[in-house]
Amino acid sequence: MPEVPKVHINGVSKTYPGDKQAVQALQTVDLSIKAGEFVSIVGPSGCGKSTLLYVVGGFLDAAGEVLVDGKAIAGPGTDRGVVFQEYALFPWLSVRNNILYGLERGPLPAEERARIADRLIGVIGLKGFEDRYPRELSGGMKQRVAIARTLACDPAILLLDEPFGALDAQTREVMQDELLRIWLETRKTVLMITHDVSEAVYLSNRICVMSARPGKIVEEFKIDLDRTIPREQLVTSEAFNKARNEVWISVRHQALAAEKAAHAGS
Amino acid sequence: MQEADRASLLSSPVGRVLPLLLIGLLWQAVSASGLVDPAFLPSPARVGYAIYDLLAGREIRDNLFITLWRAGLGLALGSSVGIWLGLMMARSPVFRAYASPIVGGTYSLPKSALIPLFILWFGIGTTTTVCAVFLACLLPMVVNTAQGVASTPRVLVWGAEALGTRPRAMLWQVYLPHALPDIFSGLRVALGFSFVLAISSEMIASTNGIGKLIFMYGENGAYDYMFAAIACVVVVAFLADRLLLALTEKSLRWHESARGR
Amino acid sequence: MTAKAVSQRGLYFRSLISVLTVIVLWEAGARAGLAPALFLPPFTKVISEWWSVCADGSLPLDLSVSLSRAAVGLGLATAIGVPLGIAMARSRFLHWLFDPVIALAFPSPKIAFLPIFILWFGIYSLSKILLVAFACVFPILIGSFAAASSVNRVLIWSAASMGTSRMTMLFRVVLPAAWPRIFASLRVALPVSLITTFTAEMVSGGGGMGATLMYSQRFFESPTVFAYILTMLCVGLLLDALMLRIQAAFPAWSTAP
Repeated sequence: MPEVPKVHINGVSKTYPGDKQAVQALQTVDLSIKAGEFVSIVGPSGCGKSTLLYVVGGFLDAAGEVLVDGKAIAGPGTDRGVVFQEYALFPWLSVRNNILYGLERGPLPAEERARIADRLIGVIGLKGFEDRYPRELSGGMKQRVAIARTLACDPAILLLDEPFGALDAQTREVMQDELLRIWLETRKTVLMITHDVSEAVYLSNRICVMSARPGKIVEEFKIDLDRTIPREQLVTSEAFNKARNEVWISVRHQALAAEKAAHAGS
Repeated sequence: MQEADRASLLSSPVGRVLPLLLIGLLWQAVSASGLVDPAFLPSPARVGYAIYDLLAGREIRDNLFITLWRAGLGLALGSSVGIWLGLMMARSPVFRAYASPIVGGTYSLPKSALIPLFILWFGIGTTTTVCAVFLACLLPMVVNTAQGVASTPRVLVWGAEALGTRPRAMLWQVYLPHALPDIFSGLRVALGFSFVLAISSEMIASTNGIGKLIFMYGENGAYDYMFAAIACVVVVAFLADRLLLALTEKSLRWHESARGR
Repeated sequence: MTAKAVSQRGLYFRSLISVLTVIVLWEAGARAGLAPALFLPPFTKVISEWWSVCADGSLPLDLSVSLSRAAVGLGLATAIGVPLGIAMARSRFLHWLFDPVIALAFPSPKIAFLPIFILWFGIYSLSKILLVAFACVFPILIGSFAAASSVNRVLIWSAASMGTSRMTMLFRVVLPAAWPRIFASLRVALPVSLITTFTAEMVSGGGGMGATLMYSQRFFESPTVFAYILTMLCVGLLLDALMLRIQAAFPAWSTAP
């Protein structure tokens, strides 16, 4: 019997009622993700990548169905942890309390929750910052807390919406390595949206390219890189650059097609 | 003197009080010169003595407490109902649709105009005052709370949902904390209104309270006591405002606008 | 029809429904004798009373007295508050001099000062105008100060690098940049001017809407009381709508989003 995919997106479309006319964001998207896979979705701006993620997260209604472990989702849930580009930390809670937030809704006793929170604070390297408020943290630190907060509930699936988009180049690289390390350790199923093709190639083992709006998946790339070698070697290797170029050309193709369609329409 | 030294001197506690002392000196000079009839402008010394006399006696304290009690009660009631209404308006489009014209309409009506109506209904006394204060405090709290709740970023709500927050818990866990800064700034406005309406109402018709006291001193020609009582009101209002600011700062240490660290 | 136009129409419609509901309930409740006529005269009776005080000229007279007091007071407050606020933003010394007085007086209920104004200026218009000016000057002053202080430094720098003199800088750069927020503070001060006028008239008489309102209350003429209150409400609504219209007519006068 074939293995049930961890996440199965089946014929999902999403239309927004617009100011002047309806806008179709997604056009029958089909995608199957196996447990432990790291899938990235790339595509031109405005193609609906984030919309797809929000549908999988259960925040937006859509036509079609999203199945997790074979069962249809019914709104947001702790089985799918989400990390947003804007961090979405609770500004009125300290780092520690932000991370404890998800745990407090669970069945664990207080000492266990505290232990998990402390361990995660160590994992993200923010020991000593437990009692700080988000406003006192840099962008990178905030995103670490956001990731830790999501991991605290131990979701099987991680949904990441351009998680490093708001960070500067250096911080972004550091965070990418962090994420890679966490994924290699925990082997969670990850679905990531990014506009950075290099980032997608660096982190994922599968990349889906989305067309311009209305979005649908038009091409898929399997990425098979040896991620145990250091970053400098990996990023300068031939295999990496070959993959990066292929994906980049595919995305560019979609972006140009979108521009042409826009000019033809106007 | 260097620019920076001068600036720090000016903003030191002494530096900040100095202009007030200068005004006091000016006042003393005008009184002493006899330019103005002492009946119209009692000298600072006489007003000072009156303040001392009042504070030592029961009159001002009793009446001040009555006024503060009325203002405080109206403020508490008005704020709680206002926060609740603001929450409803932000979370229920239907409620907002029908309530907002009424809420918007009350903005334009001076609440003190309703005092004669309340006197017709409740007679002169505490009920009338508390009603007037209640209505005046309502609007700023509704508007500010609604604004604070409605401006909650959707990623914050979604993040909370993905972490397992129940829909009913969203109110306490997400919306109200996010609205807290706006609620506090509405509270500051409402505090000011509570004083204005309490004193207005007492001046218009009441048998007691500091507003009535001020008016009575005026009618009886005891102008130094009148000035003294007004000075007390100014100081109390100032202190109440500072107290609220201190409370705000303490509760909003997490907010972007907070100072320090 | 665009969604926006539909929702605007919807808004008027819903406002109408809300207002009509209130009126209908009012009339029905009064007629049904839910409350004594003294407490709640029927809406129709209030309207007919309103009509008669309009016709005999007493309401228009009172209204014009009150509005002129409020207007002069507000004008005075603007004439003092705007220049002083801007001056305080540009002169450290002035800021130091006036700030403690403003900080002390701002939270206090200005109505408490009415007896002083009556003592000095009598119970007729002068005391009320000056009290209104006193009450309104603070929000205008504070608003103008905040507006002038927060003019984007970049604007001033680029003007300076083009050789602008201090005077020109004030009128061609600072004032236009600060104007939207200054205008916003005027909008805030407008209801303050009305409230202060009405309240002062209610407390001390001397003609105007407030005085007649109290007079009617003392003689238990409730339809008149209601009629005057409704008039005050309508005047407030109209004036605020007027301010909005003015703001809309000059897009540069609204604060940037």
